[in-house]
Amino acid sequence: MSGARDSGVARPVKSFTYRSVAGPGRETSRRSGKWRAVARNVGIPILSMALLVLTWEWIVVGFHIAPYIAPRPMQAYEAVRSDWVTLWPLVLATIRETIYGYSSGALLGVFLGVVMAKVQFLQRMVYPVLVLSQAVPIIALAAPLVLILGFSVVPIVIIVAWIVFFPVTVNVLDGLSHVDQDLLNLARVYGASRWRTFVQIEIPATTTPLFSGLKIGATYAVTGAIIGELVASNGSSLALYQEHANSNLNTPAVYGTTILMTIIGISWFLLVVGAEVLATPWQRRSVARRPWRRRREAALTTAQVEN
Amino acid sequence: MRFNRLGALAAAGSLLATSVVALAAGPSASAASPTKITFAYDFPGPDFELTPLVVAQDQGFFKAAGLQVSVVFPPNTSTTTKMLATGSAGIGFLTTTDMGVAVDVGVPVLSVANYSMRNNWALFAKPGTKLTAANLKSALKGKKIFSYGDTWTEAMLPFVLKKAGLSTSQVKIITDPTGNDLTDLLAGKVDFSTSTTNYEIPGFQGSGQKGQLTQLLGTAAGAPDIPIWVYAVTKSYANAHGANVKAFLTAVKKATAWAAKNPTKAAAEFTKAYPKSGYTPAYNQAGWKLTIPFLTNTHGQYFTQTSAQWSTLSKALKSIKLISKVQSPSTYFTNKFLP
Repeated sequence: MSGARDSGVARPVKSFTYRSVAGPGRETSRRSGKWRAVARNVGIPILSMALLVLTWEWIVVGFHIAPYIAPRPMQAYEAVRSDWVTLWPLVLATIRETIYGYSSGALLGVFLGVVMAKVQFLQRMVYPVLVLSQAVPIIALAAPLVLILGFSVVPIVIIVAWIVFFPVTVNVLDGLSHVDQDLLNLARVYGASRWRTFVQIEIPATTTPLFSGLKIGATYAVTGAIIGELVASNGSSLALYQEHANSNLNTPAVYGTTILMTIIGISWFLLVVGAEVLATPWQRRSVARRPWRRRREAALTTAQVEN
Repeated sequence: MRFNRLGALAAAGSLLATSVVALAAGPSASAASPTKITFAYDFPGPDFELTPLVVAQDQGFFKAAGLQVSVVFPPNTSTTTKMLATGSAGIGFLTTTDMGVAVDVGVPVLSVANYSMRNNWALFAKPGTKLTAANLKSALKGKKIFSYGDTWTEAMLPFVLKKAGLSTSQVKIITDPTGNDLTDLLAGKVDFSTSTTNYEIPGFQGSGQKGQLTQLLGTAAGAPDIPIWVYAVTKSYANAHGANVKAFLTAVKKATAWAAKNPTKAAAEFTKAYPKSGYTPAYNQAGWKLTIPFLTNTHGQYFTQTSAQWSTLSKALKSIKLISKVQSPSTYFTNKFLP
């Protein structure tokens, strides 16, 4: 930790010198490089999505597939657009269930991971049960949940949490089990308390595996919410809307709602990725980005030019 | 090496000879072999309503008609129509409401025979509940009604609510396509379940609960008395394989009559054919016995469809906005393949 802080102070002068030598040309090149990176990171995924939609359109039109078997992309879009007033509250409800379930599952996952890492006896006792919990088909779990808790948002949230907590627990446990022993020894030599060692060494070391677990959980969370809605909805839900559309051979609406569910899932995943980017800056640069450092760089640049 | 070459030559020669023999025997062999028909059921797994087909197979009615029928099951109740439309199955088992909806969205399906003749869909409540046509409003108001989300229930419930003088906002319709209505009813999670008598009553009997399930037939609560299930094909299949459709219906009609006359034996045949269906022999027998009274019309006829039934159905579906327009009855059915 102290090493990182030292380099944070020492480096700016060097980087300033380098940039000032390079001049405006270097700045332009840096900007174009940034745009290239944006094009690469955003443009290519958009292009691949566009290609996917085009392929879908081409298959439906090329093979003369009837709309009740598979609609064209625009028909699916139109089905959603024309009934957006009905769909929007259902989308919000699904998002709400995902947030509640995901948050509960993630918190439970972290808690279990930490507790199991610290108490070996508990790990030996609880870990097999956790593995067993994931082997139970979620649909088999859903029925008794509804019978016990009734048709409400609670079973849905539990289903989502059930899906999310396991990858989080396993990854946190894994992260805490593989903290650099030298760092722990060093902390002990300096007389750090167990709490301080945990906060300043073990938690940062677990961040990367934790986010891996959170990302896995994010991809499954919406699926969990949809399964939950199918079995435990109290009246209406996005999953039931889709089920009714399917019963009524309204295939464009089935595809349209599927796209909506996918968008919710992707958005959720991207949100977690965004949180990871903010929480783990060291994964993208060797030193942390700090506003005071930029101000100091600017001041040094001015001083250099004046001299 | 020499041995290998000789071996390869011999193998090639025998392959050629087999091909020639097969080609020569082709036409006569296919003339003798039965015509294959794929039948798509309306539910993801087998249950006692398949009894006529099992009997037709076991008693040799299909064989006598020159048919070899294989039964396939859809992944969900709304896929049977699509299986017919895509040619995954030749003949299918559908609810009449599914037929109405399918025709409305342009699926070229045609009902070729009724399976059941009347509507035995009903509302069910725990034993001891007071549920009659007279107290419908007070009994249903503010209560939870279970639905599988199928088109039949979707179509029938509005009639019941209309008769009760209630709007959909005055009751709570709980849709659970993957659940079990009877379990939810008995566990008190819903106040009323919806199903047909031939499925619900045996289910209750098998639950070990005391008393008698309270039931109110839909027809007594404002629902139209129309057939629930039909045998259906696509129009192109009917045009291309009309003789097969007729042969199929001939065999199934004989089997249905046999199974109605010998319900215990027929149910046992079903249990034997599908031992892993998940249903007990007692359930299969009770279910089939409760199905029999609905298989014939007032004249004792099997299969016969009427313009009136399709007209009533399409008007009913239109009135609850499940279809966009009422089409002429001939769009939905034909009796020309009836034996």
